[in-house]
Amino acid sequence: MAVKGLDIFKLSPKKNCKECGSPTCMAFCMKVAQGAIEITKCPYMSEEAIALLSEATAPPMKTITVGEHKLGGETVMMRHEKTLVNRNLFAATLCTCMDDAKVEERIEGIKKVDYERIGEREMVECVFVHDAGDSAKFVELCKKAAAIGDRTVIIDTKDVDTAKAAVEAIKDNKPILNGANKDNFAAMNEIATAAGIVLGVHGADLSELHDIVAELEKAGNKNLILDVTAETIKETFANAVLVRRTAIKDGDRTFGYPSIVNLGVLCDHNEHLETALASVFVLKYGSIIVMDKIGYAEALPLYGLRQNIFTDPQKPMKVAPGIYPINGATPDDPCALTVDFALTYFLVSGELERSKVPINLLITDASGMSVLTAWAAGKFSSTSVKKFFDEFDLANKINNRTLIIPGKVAVMKGEIQDKLPEWNVVVGTREAVELVKYLKDGEYKAAAEAAAASKKPAEAKKTVDADAPLDFEKIAASIPAIKIRADLDAHYKQRDPESPKFVTIGERIHCISPVIREAMATFNPDPILERAAQQIKAGATYLDVNIGPAESNGPELMTWAVKLLQENFNNVPLALDTANKKAIEAGIKVYNRTNGKPIVNSADAGSRISYIDLAAANDAICVALCSADGIAKDNEERMMHCHHMLERGLSLGMEATDLWFDPLFLVVKGMQDKQMDVLNAIKLFADEGLKSTGGLSNNSNGAPKNVRPIMDSALVAMAMMQGLTSAIVNPNDLRLMETIKSCDIFKNNELYSDSYLDV
Amino acid sequence: MPFVPKKQAFNAHINEVVLGVGEKATAIGGQNVLPFHSFDAEIKNAPKIGVELTDFGMSEYTMPGEQAFYAGCETVVDMAKRAETMEGADFLCLHFEGADPNGANKSVEECVALAKAVSDAVTMPIVIMGCKNIEKDTELFNKIAEALAGKNILVLSARDENYKTVGASAGLAYNQKVGAESAVDINLAKQLNTVMTQLGVNAQNIVMNIGSAAAGYGYEYVASTLDRIKDAALKQADGMLQMPIMTPVSSDTWGVKEAVMSEADMPEWGSQEERGIEMEITTAAAVLAGGSDAVILRHPEAIKTIAAMIRALI
Repeated sequence: MAVKGLDIFKLSPKKNCKECGSPTCMAFCMKVAQGAIEITKCPYMSEEAIALLSEATAPPMKTITVGEHKLGGETVMMRHEKTLVNRNLFAATLCTCMDDAKVEERIEGIKKVDYERIGEREMVECVFVHDAGDSAKFVELCKKAAAIGDRTVIIDTKDVDTAKAAVEAIKDNKPILNGANKDNFAAMNEIATAAGIVLGVHGADLSELHDIVAELEKAGNKNLILDVTAETIKETFANAVLVRRTAIKDGDRTFGYPSIVNLGVLCDHNEHLETALASVFVLKYGSIIVMDKIGYAEALPLYGLRQNIFTDPQKPMKVAPGIYPINGATPDDPCALTVDFALTYFLVSGELERSKVPINLLITDASGMSVLTAWAAGKFSSTSVKKFFDEFDLANKINNRTLIIPGKVAVMKGEIQDKLPEWNVVVGTREAVELVKYLKDGEYKAAAEAAAASKKPAEAKKTVDADAPLDFEKIAASIPAIKIRADLDAHYKQRDPESPKFVTIGERIHCISPVIREAMATFNPDPILERAAQQIKAGATYLDVNIGPAESNGPELMTWAVKLLQENFNNVPLALDTANKKAIEAGIKVYNRTNGKPIVNSADAGSRISYIDLAAANDAICVALCSADGIAKDNEERMMHCHHMLERGLSLGMEATDLWFDPLFLVVKGMQDKQMDVLNAIKLFADEGLKSTGGLSNNSNGAPKNVRPIMDSALVAMAMMQGLTSAIVNPNDLRLMETIKSCDIFKNNELYSDSYLDV
Repeated sequence: MPFVPKKQAFNAHINEVVLGVGEKATAIGGQNVLPFHSFDAEIKNAPKIGVELTDFGMSEYTMPGEQAFYAGCETVVDMAKRAETMEGADFLCLHFEGADPNGANKSVEECVALAKAVSDAVTMPIVIMGCKNIEKDTELFNKIAEALAGKNILVLSARDENYKTVGASAGLAYNQKVGAESAVDINLAKQLNTVMTQLGVNAQNIVMNIGSAAAGYGYEYVASTLDRIKDAALKQADGMLQMPIMTPVSSDTWGVKEAVMSEADMPEWGSQEERGIEMEITTAAAVLAGGSDAVILRHPEAIKTIAAMIRALI
């Protein structure tokens, strides 16, 4: 929680002595609030003020280590506000009131629940051992609990001597000592501190709990967990919510610790009620949830819920790539291919199971994106599929040669077939729900036979060496002659590349458009030239040329597109946009720089960072997405990516202004509460003298057609105010273009005249 | 210094909507605090539970606990009468799965007759769920709203594609309560409420079905949508999101692997019925903790348990 400059000012000496180097105390305090200067630079600042500041910058909730797990450390009440960071843990109970047989049964039960779901190990992480009044038996029970292994024991006793004996007996387990109350906390504190373990604290009510925690903190122990269990369920829920809310919203760090909730005692052996409450506490602020017992019936839904809730809302859940045999599939059964986005996996695997047809589901690494998004981003391509087949040795692990690919990427069929000539590639359904019928009807069998029959006889495959240097002459010779259209009436005006004016990059030449995709597949110049002319007339500064993944002929296609556009339109400057780096290299080779350097679209701080190297080697501008794997969660992360890419560019000899940082504009429908973050990121770039760009109209995706220009215009005005220097836009949006021109007037980038809109 | 927690009651509140008529009429919504936050202010109405009854009748109720509860019932009307005696039940939900043109394709007349027969035989409020086929549901809702005029039923639900027809008939012509269904999309939820009120449906007669998912199956989207709706309704006092929420749970949870796989197929997982019940309970408890004002459930044990949970928390 940020502390305001005025709050510090109120506590400052207000003598304006200038000893700190600032002209006034007010100026000094403002700088302190921004973190620009240390508060200790003021020799007269009160201790109270220093304490306020350190309190304000401390995290609202401490992170406690339990076994291999972290607990607490939360900064928000609800996951959509940012993310919940540390998932809660579950404990099952052992009690001295149980006979030996029951204890054994429980221990077996605890061991049994141990499985993997979406790459996470799911198990009963803690064993809660309750002391019902037999000290010797209790210590033995703690030993048994510790002997299970991999589980943290929670020693639940109020008796100091028993606690001491139990901690001594299992200290290697690093147990939690859940036993401090108002009568014994000093002694319990000594035991826990000496053993270096977490101390659980209980109070008769929140006020008492608050007092005890304050006392323990005063004694120097901040390795605590708060047992919020009360007499009733209602009061326990209130405690859990209030403890968390007090810490996070009211800024009272005394309650800034994880909680423990004992449902076993609250539910009186009503197992179903325990499950219901466990679900409530997964969502609302239980850190360790103690249940009487946990079997598969409880674990499956509760752990699934926990896994859902403790995911970063901005990072997709991913399934591990691999071969998933469904309905008892063997290597002799066919394969179906999809991406690693968890929801896709669940939908597809669910439908496959429903079909009862044995089939091997192949999950490829697509950075957790859905099928179409991954394809468009080049994360789901014939190359990535080929790589997956090699890595997982499909040729030897699977005997059947039928490969069903998602209907949505039917366009990839040919390329996959070329890269996997042994396989019979079949296009499956567009939607998962159609799979049951599709598989039961067995259509794919005929399709596989057809695919096998139509394969060209084993001609010697051209071996394409991805690392071989490009033969530019050969490329130039292989492309069609450049057609010049004089009838289009679009003239690109000579431009000063140093102009401070806002740079619009027209986005309309994009292979996701069916017309353009078709034109690029057949080297048909007309649709491309027509769209280019339209954008140039509308006033676009640059044109983006997105040729898609273009795995087979990227260099030829890009060379052709660059020459086509520049020769027709007075060397219009271009942004070269594809996942095929060789294509960009080839495009730049024939590029004319009169009206501006080429733009490489785009690098990121993750797997596409080498696009910066490409831009540096070719003296190009590079769009730099401030993300690595998924959207950055906050501006701290955005700036980290920004600086990472900046350093790389500078070390390769680039000018800082040739990196155009893209904060990634987010969709209002869905991420409304993150819009200001994006705008503030632009300000952060501008403050460092950096340039910025981005796909601005993404904000209004899914909004009605008549609304989009209004939203886009408002956003571009706000973003230009923050310092945005460029945007990838649809130049045919008149309202947007007029807004940009008007903003350029206000920013004094262009001298005003009555007809500035026409210029 | 004794610790005194700060209260967080809001000036805005969720609309109170009454379903049904007579003694068994039941109210949902009305509170001005977050779910179960009785420590911030008194909660006006406890969340309510509806019993899902599909028009296929006994053949769909194969779990031993269900068979035992409905033992001796032959028709859906018999089951409805029995369901009224279920511990924890507040209303009945007739789910016309059989109307689906791609399934049993029962005629609208047949469905209306069943709704009428059930309505004549019971006193609890009635909620009508369709078959998810837009055209069929539109006709079905219109006809049932007409046939059950005066019973103050809720049709669940009007969607983006048919809110005009359903809103005009159920909401305006027959003065029933209308559900507004969106699929885990807060912007669409608000949009539907807005256009439905523009149509003339009283905001106080609208209940939202914002969509759901079983625990573990993308439930995070449901959780965040619920959180955000409550935030907008109470903190921002957004009148177009203050409609109470009703969530059908059992129709999702009894379809996922954990509830469908037999014990013979998955011996280490144990009893199938127990897994189904716990999945239903976990999901229902989660949507209630997130702010749903009513849930539609199916298994008698799940209903009993969720009722006990609500009692304990209110």
